[in-house]
Amino acid sequence: MSYPIKGEHLHKRFKNQIVLDDVSLTLQEGEIYGLIGPSGAGKTTLVRILLGLEKADSGRVELFEQRPTLNAFRSLGYMAQSDALYNELSAYQNLEFFASIQGMHGKEKRQRIDEVAKAVELDQDLKKNVSNFSGGMKRRLSLAAALVHRPRLYLLDEPTVGLDPMIRRKLWTLFHYLKGKGATIIVTTHVMDEVAQCDRVGLLSEGKIIAEGAPKALTEHYGVPSVEDIFITIEKEGAKK
Amino acid sequence: MRNLLAMARRIIRQIVRDKRTLALLIIAPLLILTLVWYIFGAKTSEPNLAIIHYESSDYLSAFKASDYTRMSPLQARQSLADKEIDAYVDLKDPIKVHLEGSDPSRNGLAMNKIQKSMQKMQQLSITSMKNQFTDVIKAQQKGIQTQQQIIRQMSEAMQHYAPGALAQIMQNAPKAEQPNQAKAAEKVKLNVTYLHGNDDLNTFDAFGPAMVGIFVFLFIFMIGGVSFLRERTTGTLDRLMASPIKSYQIIWGYMFGFGLFVIVQSFILTCYIVYVLKIYNIGHLLDVLIIVFILSFSALSLSILLSTFASNELQMFQFIPLVIVPQVFLSGLFPIDTLPSWVQAIGNLMPIHYSTEALRNIMIRGTGFSGWWLDGLILLLFSVIFIVINILVIRRARPIAD
Repeated sequence: MSYPIKGEHLHKRFKNQIVLDDVSLTLQEGEIYGLIGPSGAGKTTLVRILLGLEKADSGRVELFEQRPTLNAFRSLGYMAQSDALYNELSAYQNLEFFASIQGMHGKEKRQRIDEVAKAVELDQDLKKNVSNFSGGMKRRLSLAAALVHRPRLYLLDEPTVGLDPMIRRKLWTLFHYLKGKGATIIVTTHVMDEVAQCDRVGLLSEGKIIAEGAPKALTEHYGVPSVEDIFITIEKEGAKK
Repeated sequence: MRNLLAMARRIIRQIVRDKRTLALLIIAPLLILTLVWYIFGAKTSEPNLAIIHYESSDYLSAFKASDYTRMSPLQARQSLADKEIDAYVDLKDPIKVHLEGSDPSRNGLAMNKIQKSMQKMQQLSITSMKNQFTDVIKAQQKGIQTQQQIIRQMSEAMQHYAPGALAQIMQNAPKAEQPNQAKAAEKVKLNVTYLHGNDDLNTFDAFGPAMVGIFVFLFIFMIGGVSFLRERTTGTLDRLMASPIKSYQIIWGYMFGFGLFVIVQSFILTCYIVYVLKIYNIGHLLDVLIIVFILSFSALSLSILLSTFASNELQMFQFIPLVIVPQVFLSGLFPIDTLPSWVQAIGNLMPIHYSTEALRNIMIRGTGFSGWWLDGLILLLFSVIFIVINILVIRRARPIAD
């Protein structure tokens, strides 16, 4: 079994605030791992540290079982909370640019762009300017830009935030499709019906992973109806002690 | 290299598709320079002057009626208060000048003109003095003639009565020297030659080189800074940093992409001021282009650097009064030799300072490569330093890579 991404004993603080307090997590190949927790729990910081966009104060990160290098980014798709698109350009030009800096070129690049555009149902809108896109279209294009180079590992930071349920469902269908192709996905969310679709979830609260496991196993273990309630249960336990 | 070109191509596409930015980059500097050209290149209007108490003056002819309105003292004071005239001259001895005084440049113009009239006035008084002297000399000559006549009559009488005594007197008498013919007074005229430029050189010709630098710098600074800032705020920079692109490729991609527009912009701008506005230029167009081009690179790299310290567009524009305005004043538009040394030291840290010096050398002084290579080198050095810092900043933001 190989581990596409592994973080060990990660600590991070901003000034006086502890953001991550000894967080360790290991992803198994081919799973969808949901990182859930209230806003401010450190989800985004954790993702950014795993990506190497931020440096942990201590701890160690491994991508594909080695210290991260620029080359590892070739197998990595990242989608941030913001759309991260060039509004002046057309959808096609956006995808073309991101494909190019991932080292794709020529016919292969063009074919792949058409492929991902179809996958996110934007193939009719490729020529349009991104500035004319709706919020949902931008999200889908942003996802397409993260898919374009066929990564093996996806880090998706709140990919469905602010989208209507229809599009959200379509995106999750896509995530399962990617998983089926052997990709590993780590996704942050606070939408609970999405949590049920993850293979495993990690509950992040105040910089700590307080529980981890398959959603069903977790709810059974704590004897609560939903994953959401686990936060409350653990909080109560903490108060009792 | 491929990544770098992809970056550059993307930036070029972004600018081409954003018509406003394109217009700001290329047309706005032309418009502003034209405006500046009208303001500084315009011929200054003649000062409005008047004289009072002229009736009894001997010098009236020095103050031509076309230049000086004749007024009564009351009228003159009123007109001065109403700003209808810039100054009036009181011809009653001693001569006095009264200036309106609120605008130093008008004061200077008025004084200049009045001083010219004063010179004429002095000439007038010299002529009248000469005339008086001639009269005196003529009277004296008449006296001498009568004396000579008397002497002649006396010597005739002496020849008659005592010829020996006369011979002795003649021998001892000093020979009267013939006075030299007075040379015709030569007209004194200043012969002015210019080492650089000529007497047609107006303010715009002198300001032009600095202006070109300021506007190129300003517009590249704004557009470059904001587009890199957007890369940060929209998250595209994060996406770039989470890709295999190398840090130097991001920065150099920017340099290349903008470089193309900088070439186009410098070319259009330089041709415009040289061929349309006909700014005084005796140097090579290519030399001018090279300097403008190097300057733009320092503007671009500096703006990218400063965008690191801004979290939105407003904060980016807050750098303009800090970075651009001091450069305008210390660029060489105004003399800085007399400023305190710390101000001069700041001036030496400003890219536009060097571009102005180099452009003046090229356009007005006509010095070739020897006149601008050092300034050009310093500008290049600015760019290199800024670029290196930029690359280091990006590198620091992606700690695991590189």
